[in-house]
Amino acid sequence: MSASGLGGVLDALMFASLCGLILTGLPVVFVLTGCAVVFAAFGTALGVFDPFLLRALAQRVFGTMTSEVLVAIPLFVFMGIMLERSKIAEELLEAMGSLFGRIRGGLAVSVSAVGALLAASTGIVGATVVTMGLMALPAMLRRGYDKGFATGSICAAGTLGQIIPPSTVMVILGEVLSAAYQQAQLAQGKFTIETVSVGQLFAGAMIPGLLLVGLYVLYQLLRAWLDPAIAPSIPREELGTVGARRLLSVLVPPLVLIVAVLGSILGGIATPTEAASVGAVGATLLAARRQGGAAARLAPIAGLAALGLALLGALFDMRLGRELVPTGDRAAMAGAAFLVLVLAIGLLSALWSLGRAGVLGRVCESTTTISAMIFATLIGATLFSLVFRGLGGEETVRELLAVLPGGTWGALAIVMAVMFLMGFFLDFVEITIIVIPIVGPVLLAMGIDPIWLGVLIAINLQTSFLTPPFGFALFYLAGVAPKEVGARDIYRGIVPFVALQLLALSIVAAFPPLATWLPRALF
Amino acid sequence: MQLLLALAGALDRLGRVAGKTVRWLAVLLVLIQFAVVVLRYAFGTSYIWLQESVLYTNATLFMLAIAYTFLVDQHVRVDLLYARWSARRRALVDLSGILLAVLPFCGLVIWASWGYVAVSFRMGEGPMQVGGLPLLPFLKSLIPAMATLLALQALAIALRCLAVLAGRAPTHLPHRGGHGAPEAAG
Repeated sequence: MSASGLGGVLDALMFASLCGLILTGLPVVFVLTGCAVVFAAFGTALGVFDPFLLRALAQRVFGTMTSEVLVAIPLFVFMGIMLERSKIAEELLEAMGSLFGRIRGGLAVSVSAVGALLAASTGIVGATVVTMGLMALPAMLRRGYDKGFATGSICAAGTLGQIIPPSTVMVILGEVLSAAYQQAQLAQGKFTIETVSVGQLFAGAMIPGLLLVGLYVLYQLLRAWLDPAIAPSIPREELGTVGARRLLSVLVPPLVLIVAVLGSILGGIATPTEAASVGAVGATLLAARRQGGAAARLAPIAGLAALGLALLGALFDMRLGRELVPTGDRAAMAGAAFLVLVLAIGLLSALWSLGRAGVLGRVCESTTTISAMIFATLIGATLFSLVFRGLGGEETVRELLAVLPGGTWGALAIVMAVMFLMGFFLDFVEITIIVIPIVGPVLLAMGIDPIWLGVLIAINLQTSFLTPPFGFALFYLAGVAPKEVGARDIYRGIVPFVALQLLALSIVAAFPPLATWLPRALF
Repeated sequence: MQLLLALAGALDRLGRVAGKTVRWLAVLLVLIQFAVVVLRYAFGTSYIWLQESVLYTNATLFMLAIAYTFLVDQHVRVDLLYARWSARRRALVDLSGILLAVLPFCGLVIWASWGYVAVSFRMGEGPMQVGGLPLLPFLKSLIPAMATLLALQALAIALRCLAVLAGRAPTHLPHRGGHGAPEAAG
């Protein structure tokens, strides 16, 4: 066998070992590094791998460490976990429940609506599912909702955070996709490299995300209308009425956050990283309201100060260090300095009171371990793809995808199918990090639009949270569901929603402008 | 065995102290990045050293927490089978993983980064951009530091795996789990 042929066998074996060893339960990051180390050693011994390729590892790790885009990950995670402590999910559920309760399937619709709102202010799948499982599920069951219908609605709504921007996993997807895109263009010998940014990807996912919410709600209304027994309406007199004032006070905090964070990204004003820090601060102030004391009273004032600051910044030229400053600007700057002071006092007292209650420590703990897990997996996958490529793996993938019938569509379909199947065992983050560096450059070199591809992948991988045995959403819901709800109810309930997901996938696949129009219009 | 378990305990304490300390960098990260935003959008001013300190904070946070995350068992596993296996079998899986995957990886990272970092120190490498932080060699040192911390943590867990296999300890991951709050990245 020739040396290159041997490499072709080794890279295939390497990928097979990866899939097999992941099932042993060893942490995914170590399965990646282990496969890389062992196969690099084999390849070196057989003379088909140059170990000095591995010297590039230090530079690659450094690249991950100094990526400005990836800083958005810990910031969004911090924001999401802090937001969970602010209890806005609970308030929203209560308000939406009394708003929609009177129609058939209304509680399910309210779960979808709350899921969408939380998703747009960076929902975290686990947190959203657990909150809804604790609050909405008992309420639905008490009203005689079908167990499967109720649990399916909750799991599906909880995963909307993945697709509706801003979302942490889309930051990762954007980063690996843009690396793959650059590689594809370099391989084609292009000199002017086009890029794809996380902001563009966010914009691309916006319409498909809303489409998905629409499909969920449509399905819920239709099912409840056809079969009232599974989702009965609640008599008006049993519903607590929700006044316009109350509704407003519940809706305003998340809406302000959505406008500030998502709006500034889609408006092209701020980078996702910058917007994420604003979101993290906003979530901290919202959580402080729950702590009582001076911090709770200061938090809304600090929020208003931040809004005032943004307004002043937009209206006046307050650049520091100018020689001559007109009187108007000077007054604005004095006002801004005062607002900064108010904001700083409010924020620090919020952090102080959250810290004393032990909340801040727990938020930091989760932020740290989740970020470390994601970054470690990125580093592990860097090493894996370094070795995989060194063994000629990319060539093998290209040949494999080229012999498939159906050309570009065939290649895309098979990649989507593989990702869907991987979703039964792994979740969004791992699949993205492992698969895209391997197949991304090949697919993109075929001329597939990177944003469209990214959105398709995002919709597809949303199912990875919903497919047993390893759907995180199912797993978390099973953990908090009342005893009468069995794993079978949850599995049964999720089937129609996975089908809706695949329907959305086919719609976006058939009509690419759904994903590509908004980013082109905005950026 | 007593001695080895004591060693594992000492290494765990080191890992815990590191993890419990660096986690506060998360707050620092939020505050610095927010300060950058306020300065930029309200006062039209930006400082490169401040922007770079965001990168430094983030890199320090996750690089030094990778070992701790292993200690509290928060690196994602596909525990379809793993969760059903006996403590002995799990210890065997993790011990093999540490010997075949974790320690060689740490060795590889140290090998690959040693020259990279040494050159940076020897040349007294300046900041990434003009006006940035003049601490680049230290930032690069995080790469071998991550590998060293991870290797020490892996050693501690491996020792406890041996204790489990010898029937001297109930589990090799006694610090497992955070606070019961399920928080998949989202």
